[in-house]
Formats: sequence, structure tokens, C-alpha cells
Amino acid sequence: MRLQNVLPIVIGKIVSSASKLFHLGAGATWPGEIALRLSPNIFAEFASQLRKGIILVAGTNGKTTTSLMITQVLEKQGLTVVHNASGANLLNGIVSACIQKAAWSGKLRVDYGVFEVDENSLPQIIFYVNNSHSREPFEAQDRRGNPENDKTGSPIGSGMTRQIVLVLLNLFRDQLDRYGEVDVIAEKWKKALLRLDTGNQTIKPYQLIANADDPLIVHLASSASRAGLEARVTYFGLNDASQFQKKMEHATDSTFCPACGARLIYEGYYYSHIGVWKCEKCKAKRPTLDVSDWDYPLPGLYNRYNTLAAVTTSQALGIKKETIKKALLSFKPAFGRQEELVVNGKRVKLFLSKNPAGFNESLRTVIQLGAKQILFVLNDRIPDGRDVSWIWDVDFEMIPGNISVAVSGDRVYDLALRLKYAGITANICENLENAFDTKETLYVLPTYSAMLDVRKILTGKKIL
Amino acid sequence: MKLTIAWLYPDLMSTYGDRGNIIVLQKRCQWRGISVKVEEITLESRLSNLEHCDFIFMGGAQDRQQKIVGKDFLENKAPVVKVMVEKGIPALFVCAAYQLVGHYYKPYQGEKIPGAGIFDLYKEHPGDQKKRLIGNVTAEIVSSKKTIVGFENHGGRTYLGKDLAPLARVIKGFGNNGEDEYEGAVYKNAIGSYFHGPLLPKNSHIADWLIAKALEVKYKKKISLKPLDDSLEWQAHRFIIAR
Repeated sequence: MRLQNVLPIVIGKIVSSASKLFHLGAGATWPGEIALRLSPNIFAEFASQLRKGIILVAGTNGKTTTSLMITQVLEKQGLTVVHNASGANLLNGIVSACIQKAAWSGKLRVDYGVFEVDENSLPQIIFYVNNSHSREPFEAQDRRGNPENDKTGSPIGSGMTRQIVLVLLNLFRDQLDRYGEVDVIAEKWKKALLRLDTGNQTIKPYQLIANADDPLIVHLASSASRAGLEARVTYFGLNDASQFQKKMEHATDSTFCPACGARLIYEGYYYSHIGVWKCEKCKAKRPTLDVSDWDYPLPGLYNRYNTLAAVTTSQALGIKKETIKKALLSFKPAFGRQEELVVNGKRVKLFLSKNPAGFNESLRTVIQLGAKQILFVLNDRIPDGRDVSWIWDVDFEMIPGNISVAVSGDRVYDLALRLKYAGITANICENLENAFDTKETLYVLPTYSAMLDVRKILTGKKIL
Repeated sequence: MKLTIAWLYPDLMSTYGDRGNIIVLQKRCQWRGISVKVEEITLESRLSNLEHCDFIFMGGAQDRQQKIVGKDFLENKAPVVKVMVEKGIPALFVCAAYQLVGHYYKPYQGEKIPGAGIFDLYKEHPGDQKKRLIGNVTAEIVSSKKTIVGFENHGGRTYLGKDLAPLARVIKGFGNNGEDEYEGAVYKNAIGSYFHGPLLPKNSHIADWLIAKALEVKYKKKISLKPLDDSLEWQAHRFIIAR
């Protein structure tokens, strides 16, 4: 550890402790932000200290749940992990997580870094991870790890090499005013993935864990693993025709071949443009699945994908099936993601829903779970996207008539209006605090900042 | 009475809630006992399916989708749309569609991309250093003085030719180009606008104007629509004005 990097970490730790002590609620990003200003390359330094490797989880939906699953599996295996559990997934949030985990000496003594990464930040994070290769891995410096004692029981964790794993979940339209178009993000990812450095002998070749059922993800993963590059791709996806939708949803993005532009032919759609697809023009098709089935711990089709991604990743890291099973059996959902809260004897279930594809999936899941009361909360703050147009792409029409619906949030009238045109008269709660007076279990579908508001009201804390 | 709505490229030109316009037209007709059929017109559709329609809607697209649409639209559908618009058939072109119906689009780098020339306007991109025009917008319709509200998100700037009337004067936001304080354009019974996605839900008066025009052109008589309870529509509308 270079001395000039210790000071920013110490300062970051002080900021982190202070913000917790005084309930400033900014502990997830500020320590990292300050450390980055003092030492812009600090993440490369942290990354080089991770003993066994780094796992980056990217995609529009499912990052938080998937990265939490991977973390819990690794911990079940007896490994130590640094993880941005707060969901702060820009560089400053990831650095903050490292600072909180680091010793006051500045050293990060953990086996793995498991980070969910914002779509726009992925290229930047990959850049620093690449930069970390030029440094000696921490383990090689002090020989702390002894391969004989390796608990993973696999050749992968043999100490001298580090693994870099990229998990690519999906890409959907999301907050166009903030992220730009899906294709713009895909283009950035493509460039970043092509820069993957595999020349360094102290790391294993990059591994990609990719969703075979998303045509755009497959296009990106296969162009990053083509001849000449060493990265390997392992695919996960579903083989379950009983889960096909009757017809394609309106909210789809990649139904035309990302390689040649022809309309894709689908054997079936699971949700949005996720399905069993092929291109008759350039012969691209859904790749053979390496992992396609598991005992799923959470309801919802989208959580099947999150589980498969976590299982595929864990297996790629050499964790045995039995251990993964045990870890996922006791899996507790991440905050706001199917999180259950009991307040004054009433049950409230939170289903973060922030874009059309995710919203449709949440809605289908709560209806299947037998919801009688649903509350939608729509905010238009920066983390939600300022533009709420996307609610017209959500299929509210699927809500059965016997479910009572309430709406709240900054854009409560937009939501009530959308529901009116879906044939639903919603109870308008201008004040969110009054929205929880319920006899039944209340299923809440909030946007991101709305989810934090709901948690603040019900638990007194926004995040964790 | 019956209306057939042509929805151009619903699978390609529908980026962020554009469907809201179709849903609103459909419901507002149904609530008045006017039956509606939505004809989805995409790459493979025959022109005969388009020609018999009483209204045309075309929405926003991402760049890749717009490229896929571009050739088919200019070569096949646009000439038919042009004839229909000239006949007075009402149309709504938002976002990328507003761009495609002009003479051309000049990107920051590279060649001019030709448009359909249905509207006397052109669009250019001022360069990647210029900011995108993003945010909630309020404007006042030039002819009726009624307000319209929406959300805009565009890098390109639109300039109207001398024979094309602007739709509205911007009160808050940027509009066509952020310079001349105008937003959108009206040609015969066709409207073009940068207000993207769901323009009609919060501006039900425009939805009704379009429905009435479509019926007048089709049935060749003056139409006055039965009023609906629009209190929720106006509540959402006023909320944006007050922001």
C-alpha cells in the first residue's frame, strides 16, 4: 500500500463513521467521493488487493439481488467479501464499500470484491480493474494465503491468480433522460469489453457470465469472447415453455438482431424481449445454456434469472453445488426487493419497480402471489429519472378487478391518470404517510427514491 | 361512427410511453360510443392497410431502430402518408417521427439524412458539446391559447420553413430549438411535436381536436364531441404547469 493512498482511506473512514454517528445518511457515497478526489486511482489499488478476485454484476434489472446472492454464497463457503450492499453502484459507492471494509492501515484483507455496477459506470470500473493488473496481487506480496488451506477446494482459488468475472444480466429501456438509449449503453459496453486485458499472467482470463435469453447481451458477450480474446462466456437462461407469455409485451427493446438488423424469430417470450430467439438472416441464435435450472428461493420469473446468474457465477468460482444450495435456501432478499416489513402488525411487501420491463414482472408476481391491495408510488427525482412517460409502457391492464389500488408519490396524478385509462379507479394518496392504512398485506411497487421514502416511513431508515 | 387509427411501427418507433397516445385516443372514442380499430403498420405491412386509415400516429425511436425504419418509411410508407396528410387526414408525429417528416436531418458529423418532406422543416444537431434539451415543458397553443404540457429530450434542433406554422409558444422549457421560443408545428390537420412519448394523456384537448378532425374528414360534416369528465387529466396537467 502506497502511503499516499492510506490518507484518503483514513479520511474516508472518518467521514463514513461520522455520517453513521450523526445519521447523515450519506455514508454510501461520500467517503468514496472524497477519497477519489484525493486519489483518483484508488479503486485500482483496492482491486489489486483482493486476494482471489473481483465479480462485477451489470444490467438494467436484478443487480442488487444477484450480487447479494453471490456474496451470501461466497460467505457460506467461508470466504470474506467486500460488497456494495447499499446499492450505491457508481465508482464512489464501490470505493465507499471498500473504505468501510478496509483496515485503518488502508489494507483491504478480503478474498473477493462483489460489486453491482451502474450501466454507465461499467466502462470506467473495467478501466480501473485493468489498471489493477499492473500491480502485484496482494497475496503475492505477503504470501498470506496458503493454497493448502484453501477452503474452496478448487484449483481456482489457488492464491497466485485472481479471477475477474463479469456478470451481464440484461439491458432494458430505463430512465432515458439519465442513461440515454439502450443502444448507447450497449455500444459503451462493447468498447469496454473489447479492451479486456488478458495479457497479465497473475490473473485468469476474464470470465463472462451472460444471459442467453437477451439477444443484446449475447451479442455483447460473444463479441467480447471472439477469437483472439481469451475471455470465456458461460450462459444461463430458461428452458421452460410453461412460462412463455401468450404474446409479446409492448415494452421490448431488442427484438431485432443486434448483429444484422433483421427481425428476430421467437420460439417463445419469457418477458419483454427475453426469450428463446434466433435470427434467420445471420443465423445468430440463443446459445446453448450451461445452467438453466435451480431450486429458486424467491418468487417471480425475474428472480429465476437472478438466481441462475448467481449460481452460474458461483460455479465458475469453483463453489460446490451443495454449498450454493445451502446458501440460497436461507437467502434473505435485498432491501426494497421483495423485502417484507411488519409495521404495527401489518405486513408490507416492497417490490422496487423502476422501468417497464421490471414493473411488468413485479406486477405479474404480486398478482400471482394473490395480492388484494397494491400501492404504486411514482417519484421523478434524479435517481428515478425525471421523465415518467414510461408508465404508459407498463401493462396495468393486467390487474384483476378485485384488487384495490392506491397511488402516491411526486407524480401521483400521472399515475392515477394512467390507471384511469387502464380502467382502474385508484385511491389517490397525496401524502405517502397516509397510504399504509391497510387490513390486508399491502404490496408496494415504488420507484427508487419512492422505495427509500417508504422505508423511511415504515422503518425509520432509508437504506440499511 | 367508426375510426381506424394507423399506428406506424409500434415495434420500432415506441421508445418511452408513446403507446399512451394510442390508448388515450382509443378510450376517448370508446367512452363516446365511437368504435375504434388500431391498424399496426410495420416493416412487412401492406400499403393497402395504411391507405384506408382515418388517423396516423408515429412515435419516437432510438437511433438503431430509426435506421431500420428509415429506408422502409421513405421508400414505402411516407409517400402514402404524404397523400393522406395533404387530404387533411389528421396525424400526430412525436419525437423521432417529427424528425422523419421534415426535409432532412443534419447530424453533427456526416451526411444529411433525407426525410419525407411532409412538413416544411429541417433538423440539425449542433454538435456533441451542445447540451441536450431535457425536461418538463409548458407551452401555449398559438391558435387557441390553451396550454400544453409534456417532457422533451432531444439533441437535435428543429427549424420551421416559412410556410409552416408553429404549434405553440414555449412558456417553460426549450421547444423546437431553444432559440425562437416555438414548439412543434401544424400542417393542415397534422401535428408534429418534440413533446415525446405520451403527449395526449395530459393534453386531452389535443386528443379531442384530433378525434373531431378525423371524424369531420371521414364523415364530411361538422362534429362536436360529447364532453367527458376530464378532471383528473387537468389535475395532472396543472401539476406540471405549477412546477
